Amino acid sequence: MKNLMIIAAVAALASQLAMAPVGAAETEKVFKFYCAQCHGLTGKGDGPNVTKDFPVSPRNFTNAKEMNKLSDADLKNVIMDGGPSVSKSPMMPPWGKTLNAEEVDGLIKHLRVLCKCKGKQG
Amino acid sequence: MKPILTAALSTVFLVTTASSVLADPAAGKAAFEAKGCGDCHYTAGPAKEKTIDDQLAKKGPELWYAGSKFQKDWLGKWLADPKPIRPMKFNVLTEENPGDHPKLAGADAASVADFLMSLTSTDVPAGKVKPKKNPKGRQIFIKKMPCSGCHQYAGRKNKISGGRSGPSLVDAGVRLNPDWILAYLKNPKVFKPVKMMPVFTGLLSDKDMMNVARYVANFKPKKKK
Ligand code: HEC
Ligand code: HEC
Ligand code: HEC
Repeated sequence: MKNLMIIAAVAALASQLAMAPVGAAETEKVFKFYCAQCHGLTGKGDGPNVTKDFPVSPRNFTNAKEMNKLSDADLKNVIMDGGPSVSKSPMMPPWGKTLNAEEVDGLIKHLRVLCKCKGKQG
Repeated sequence: MKPILTAALSTVFLVTTASSVLADPAAGKAAFEAKGCGDCHYTAGPAKEKTIDDQLAKKGPELWYAGSKFQKDWLGKWLADPKPIRPMKFNVLTEENPGDHPKLAGADAASVADFLMSLTSTDVPAGKVKPKKNPKGRQIFIKKMPCSGCHQYAGRKNKISGGRSGPSLVDAGVRLNPDWILAYLKNPKVFKPVKMMPVFTGLLSDKDMMNVARYVANFKPKKKK
């Protein structure tokens, strides 16, 4: 009986793990692969694409003051649909056809870790 | 005496092989294997990459559709005298391209080019894209979409502008098959299932993909005045 209960508990845990959102390590990988080319590996807006010709500075994600002006929903919009969807530069690409919903949610959490900020609420 | 003899012999050898390389993919395949090209490039499709880790584990770009992607004249010349295509080191964002790609001697370059040109994809319809000066394509490349944020191109007065994370598109019209450019934009996952470039399918209309493909395919060296 006891054994059965343990098995049940382990099974429940395993299925929870399988459903868990993309983990922090995975998200960091996604960020470094897609976003760092412009925003930089540590999110300071200094990726290798940012030469002196680059028309606008990619957002520095460690700037809590700027990042606090944006809600999580704002972040989601700009990541999915690109700069022009929020009246920003088209140099910020639309990623909606590239990333899945879990990856986008993971990235939003990652940006909040980088800015050490909660963002605009409500 | 001996070195002169070998030098003379190898010249004769080089000349005879060079003149006998009228499309010989089998010899090219053998040379490709003998030179260790397969250590960094895979040549059997379809695309294998499923995750970011798969993509980052590659030591060089996939070549299984090289015959659909490249122009043969460019390929033969590049293999004999490779110049950096990607401004940054492959799969690395923090180092410049060291420009140390293995070189092939003339005869091998020609036969390996024949071999690589024999690797084609059925997903590249031929005869669709006519390279052309294209203001709409230019507008998309430079203003409407972030293409120029990641790709170098020759702008006004031939000044090289643009980003550095993607392959340089300077003179892309000499290097790439125009039809492949369109096929790649329309159906990127067939060729590159995991890549740092965003998917534009559904974001650019078919017409605009054609416009931007024609514009990029028209990137060619300006004639010197
Ligand atoms: C081609 C370069 C480029 C890439 C790649 C890129 N961005 Fe951006 N991003 C920009 C630029 C430029 C801006 C600033 C736009 C402006 O201020 O007009 C920006 C701004 C932003 C903003 C702030 C928007 C605002 O309203 O201020 C967020 C959030 C963002 N990017 C997230 C991401 C994420 C997440 C990724 C990876 C999936 C990414 N970016 C990849 C160039 C890029
Ligand atoms: C040590 C790994 C390595 C070896 C060995 C190697 N290559 Fe490459 N190859 C690369 C890298 C990295 C690039 C990208 C170079 C650039 O962007 O400038 C490349 C680019 C190419 C390209 C252009 C592909 C593209 O999509 O831009 C061709 C064609 C090619 N190699 C053929 C060969 C042949 C033929 C050989 C054997 C003589 C060979 N390579 C050996 C790493 C390698
Ligand atoms: C966020 C950066 C980024 C943006 C934006 C971007 N690209 Fe790319 N592009 C890349 C990268 C990186 C590659 C190489 C992908 C690979 O081989 O894994 C690439 C590959 C290509 C290639 C193939 C080049 C070759 O030699 O293999 C073409 C053509 C191209 N892009 C055109 C475009 C066009 C047109 C646009 C705009 C509609 C665009 N790109 C937008 C990063 C970008």
